[in-house]
Amino acid sequence: MSSETPFQINISDKKLSILRAKLELATFPDELQDIGWKHGPPLADMKRLVERWRNGYDWRKYEKELNQELPMFTRNIDVDGFGTLNIHYVHKKSKTVDAIPLLFCHGWPGSFLEVKPLLSLLTASSPEHPSFHVVALSLPGFGFSEGPHKPGFAVDQYAEVPHKLMIALGYNEYVTQGGDWGFVITRRMAAKYGGKHHKAWHTNFPMYMSFSRSLLIHQLISSLIRADPPSWKSPLSYLSYLLTPYSAEEKAGFERTMWYRNKASGYFIEQSTFPQTLAYGLTDSPVALLGWIYEKLVTWTDDYKWTDDEVLTWISIYWFSRAGPGAAHRIYSEVYADFYYAGRTSHPAIPMLILLPSKWLRSLNNVVIESHHTSGGHFAGYERPEVLVEDVRKMFAKGGPAFAIVPGRSGYA
Amino acid sequence: MSSETPFKIDVPDEKLTILHAKLELATFPDELEDAGWTYGPPLADMKRLTERWKNEYDWRKHEREINEELPMFTRDIDVDGFGALNIHYVHKKSESVDAIPLLFCHGWPGSFLEVRKILPLLTASAPEHPSFHVVALSLPGYGFSEAPRKQGFGANQYAEVAHKLMIALGYNEYVTQGGDWGGIITRRMASLYGGRYHKAWHTNFPIAVPPSWKTPLSFLSFLLTPWSIEEKAGIERTKWFRTKGMGYFTQQSTQPQTLGYSLADSPAGLLAWIYEKLVLWTDNYNWSDDEVLTWISLYWFSRAGPAASVRIYFEMHGDCEDIGQNPTIPMGASFFPKELVVLPAAWLRKSNNLVFESHHKTGGHFAAIERPEELVRDVRKMFAKGSPAFAIVPGRTGYA
Repeated sequence: MSSETPFQINISDKKLSILRAKLELATFPDELQDIGWKHGPPLADMKRLVERWRNGYDWRKYEKELNQELPMFTRNIDVDGFGTLNIHYVHKKSKTVDAIPLLFCHGWPGSFLEVKPLLSLLTASSPEHPSFHVVALSLPGFGFSEGPHKPGFAVDQYAEVPHKLMIALGYNEYVTQGGDWGFVITRRMAAKYGGKHHKAWHTNFPMYMSFSRSLLIHQLISSLIRADPPSWKSPLSYLSYLLTPYSAEEKAGFERTMWYRNKASGYFIEQSTFPQTLAYGLTDSPVALLGWIYEKLVTWTDDYKWTDDEVLTWISIYWFSRAGPGAAHRIYSEVYADFYYAGRTSHPAIPMLILLPSKWLRSLNNVVIESHHTSGGHFAGYERPEVLVEDVRKMFAKGGPAFAIVPGRSGYA
Repeated sequence: MSSETPFKIDVPDEKLTILHAKLELATFPDELEDAGWTYGPPLADMKRLTERWKNEYDWRKHEREINEELPMFTRDIDVDGFGALNIHYVHKKSESVDAIPLLFCHGWPGSFLEVRKILPLLTASAPEHPSFHVVALSLPGYGFSEAPRKQGFGANQYAEVAHKLMIALGYNEYVTQGGDWGGIITRRMASLYGGRYHKAWHTNFPIAVPPSWKTPLSFLSFLLTPWSIEEKAGIERTKWFRTKGMGYFTQQSTQPQTLGYSLADSPAGLLAWIYEKLVLWTDNYNWSDDEVLTWISLYWFSRAGPAASVRIYFEMHGDCEDIGQNPTIPMGASFFPKELVVLPAAWLRKSNNLVFESHHKTGGHFAAIERPEELVRDVRKMFAKGSPAFAIVPGRTGYA
């Protein structure tokens, strides 16, 4: 007696006409001369996208495609202290019976949509590589999942939901793949459920966050990368840190990190402190929402060639989301209020795979495999699906460090 | 041959129609249980204000009142490297012929309208206190002033506009009053034009750096002096602002246009973004709904549009933080407890020519609105007979 119900996206005509009415009234700012991307998305991009969204973009076409390609469901998941949330997810089984159950966890401004290019690759059966049964949820407040109704829904709760979902689906033992908030959440899953249920975790967004009680202290002690360098408190590590020359790749990594910290953290701080203030604009104006998210889609990816329709579908999922476009980013303020999310005590012991590794991370995690890539960005699964899947397969391959980590499920045909 | 033209606000009907059409379509987020003000303006406030804005709020009535109360003008001001900008300003003379010329400079999310309550007080003639000829400009990109069209319009440029305006009005020597960006800009004016033109500056947004270890005696005293209760409260307030209140600042300093798309398209979005500051930055000020809506409407109907107003953060980023060069002209500082950054006055005294200070028990960031009498009393005291800044503008004591 599960509450699982098959789910098809079916946005009401009324919602579509409200969107169109707002787009008809769209008013734009001016723009400084030759500003390019310096202050945010260029005016020409925004006008073009809004015009297409208003007239030409066919939501029903993409809605149908999603319904056809992604087997989706909803079911109720009980969250301690928060009641029941109705959770939306993609669930696709491999033809290989003992495929490895894998939870894919998105972040912000991502969604379940990010699993689309990965799904057939991950579930593909072959004698040459492991395959996976894939579950990709919409985090509470995102996509077509219900959002929490009261404050305090923090990392533990975001971790509880996907864990309980896997158990409810009969996957008592599972592995995970996640980036952005998906990293933070799957990391917490590893800390809480690791060993017994959660057997291994893969991430394309390796970070170590310093435990701190305030932004002031955080700014003082936090390092160039969000993986803290060894401190003088562990002298041998620190000495090694001082003496080891950084590779060109690592230097580029530092630069990218500095750019993020100095030029691209506004959304993070606003969303962590006054998410509701922001929510009013994002909920009332599709143009506002488009600007806010499109900026990330471009600046966080590595020259990914977004088509206009791809962008608009991505934004439309936020616009039409069940909890509304103002709800998803509450995750920032709820988690930031809970500094435990940095969790010095919760270094997971289970195996993990990271991209762009830092020597600093290895001392804190049971890193069993790493891979470096010369291209690709934040939405790794979306930008480089074959590459990401290859990494995940390698991690669980015969002879690999996490082979058959889920007992009885090697994933091989 | 000046280009000064009398100015009356007269928002075109079409703009009002568009505003109403958008308000008709307004859609709201939900809200977490018992959220209060924790995450931003409460949903009930926002719905009530939006509803009023859509229906009962009468922009034409408030437009008329502003036109009647404030003598306004526009004129072209040439800015080196940026061409001429048409600047909107309030200009009211005192009856005292030799009143002290005073420039009032607003910040964000403020406006020229902040001069409204203090204008009659500052220009009032009396034998007991000095009076002022008051100029209150709309900074470029705000109110009904034109905005710069290219990058690089920073502190020096804002200072140049304000200074040139005073000169153009025949005020070769003048004093200033400013808070928020107005404090920063008048400070830059003091550095660039101080002594010869700019004779003294008063601010309700006093910023200072703590003594560094490089001046050991000051530093030692800094370490050893116990804070007063007010100073401790000020430090707490400052901490609150630095840890919880910097979202808008960071966004506006780094990706102003991203935000600009929201401010330009959604009146509800603009309302929330600014209303949050009107409440959190003041000391329990009892905003009436119409006061709020008039304030926001000024942004909505501004000549350059609301997105232009936040670019100042990007352009000033890194520039205004250069506290380094302290002005030498006489400075006055009024401390209000709910200002955003409330630092010990001792830090200010060390590094500025501080001739006047006052410490208030109530009041916040928008001092001219919240505590107009106190602010004016402070400014009068600063320039009163017997004060160090008395007659700082030669021949203009300001006394009746």
